[in-house]
Amino acid sequence: MLPLLAELSADPTTMMLLADSDSGAGGIAIPFLAGPAVFAAVYGGIYRYYRNTDKRHHFERETEVAVGNLHSGDRKVGENNRQQNRRMRDDNSTDHLRRVHRIAVD
Amino acid sequence: MLGDEAVADAAEAARRHAENRIIDTSSGQDDGLNKCPSCGSAEIQYSLTAKALVCSYCRHTWNEENAEQAFGLDSSIADLRGHVMASGTADVREDLTTITLKCQGCGAEVVINVDQDLQARCHWCRQTLSVNSQIPNGAIPDAVLPFQLTREEAIERIDAFTAKRRAFAHRRFKEEYVPDNVMGVYIPYLVVDGNLHTVLQGTGEVTTRQYTVTRGSGDNKRTETYYDADVYGIQRAFDLLVDDLTIESAERFNAQDNEQATNNILNAVQPYDTENAVIYNSNYLKNFTSERRDLNVRDVDDDVENHFLAIARAKALPTTSRYDRGVRWEREGVAVRGTRWVAVYVPVWLYSYADSATGKNSLVHYIAVNGRNGNTMGSVPVSHPKIFAVSCAAGTVAAVIGAIVGFSQFLF
Repeated sequence: MLPLLAELSADPTTMMLLADSDSGAGGIAIPFLAGPAVFAAVYGGIYRYYRNTDKRHHFERETEVAVGNLHSGDRKVGENNRQQNRRMRDDNSTDHLRRVHRIAVD
Repeated sequence: MLGDEAVADAAEAARRHAENRIIDTSSGQDDGLNKCPSCGSAEIQYSLTAKALVCSYCRHTWNEENAEQAFGLDSSIADLRGHVMASGTADVREDLTTITLKCQGCGAEVVINVDQDLQARCHWCRQTLSVNSQIPNGAIPDAVLPFQLTREEAIERIDAFTAKRRAFAHRRFKEEYVPDNVMGVYIPYLVVDGNLHTVLQGTGEVTTRQYTVTRGSGDNKRTETYYDADVYGIQRAFDLLVDDLTIESAERFNAQDNEQATNNILNAVQPYDTENAVIYNSNYLKNFTSERRDLNVRDVDDDVENHFLAIARAKALPTTSRYDRGVRWEREGVAVRGTRWVAVYVPVWLYSYADSATGKNSLVHYIAVNGRNGNTMGSVPVSHPKIFAVSCAAGTVAAVIGAIVGFSQFLF
């Protein structure tokens, strides 16, 4: 049961729920949010623990790789002020598997 | 009359062909008797206790040579140019289904179906005949990674895995669970080394200021946090030397396709220490089943390029730590300077269970144990009504607690 609880606590919905109850804002909405959120978190957590549909080999981290000859070219192109999000839009720095526009390299 | 364009194309094709170098990994033996080096008997099998091939007559034990060292497949990746391919990665011929083995003992000819078997017994003199040459039907790899884990050890791991997942398992799965059905399977992989140069381009943002603004008044008073950021166009160009990237080379085990079977499970029990694979000998496969490779190098090379790019993106992550608001990669490319391809059989202990005996919707659930390091992963069919009931109960409890907290805030 302990691994199952660990998976549940790692679930983003559970986190959202905990943040929700702490905030204190819109207190009247809490029971209507908490019920479905816990339902979804428990259902998803148990299903994933049994079926492991999200498991794969993390080849991009585990394959032996040597890196060298790094050239960085960074330049300021503008400003993006008065943003409400802590992270930028469409950040894909940790989403290694999603491919973007392919360019030819010599 | 050929135009200039056609001539240029031909020259380009010839240049590319010249860049493809084949390394012969065949044993050089004729098909037929595969003899013990000590006594000459053909009665040989792989012993999991000795972790070696054992001759049934003289008890001589030995392992074949390490394939990388024997064929020079361990030369520096930085020196790789063009495509170097071990001969076991040659294109698969689907029409090659039977071959005739000539028994060197008595001269009899035995026909075998190489889709199913790589060994047969001579029906006259009872000696074991083997396919020793590299027939191009995908069944003969360059190298084999022999089993290290015994069947009993694998069953223990599978038992422990399912024991933790019984409460919500489907009733029929629990009734029909027979761990004795665990089978040793050799699964074909293409192992790729790559000498690459990669370029990534995108946008990154650095926070320059964080401030809060108070809005409204009285009961509606609230604060909002805002962030100012500098935007940078960023580029990373670097060389990558990739060692032993593994790619499934049997269509039915394609890790991206989980429609018919939970192939991601087989993918998840990696990695394999492919550098320790030994030269192919059909006796390693005796008493195990093996899956034929049915994908060629050109069938998987797009997939391999995507893997190279994913590795490049993962390696670029530490170089962008100053961009605290994140990085959006927009363009990426890889120049492949050299690759090396080797076909390897890797060992898996496999328990499989079809969740419905008939029909197209049947899904085969695998519980797999890596035959080298014991990594275990599996998929257990679930009882949805049971999960639904528990989730409803938990949701109701959460709603009641939420109601108490919420209404107390509302009232006071």
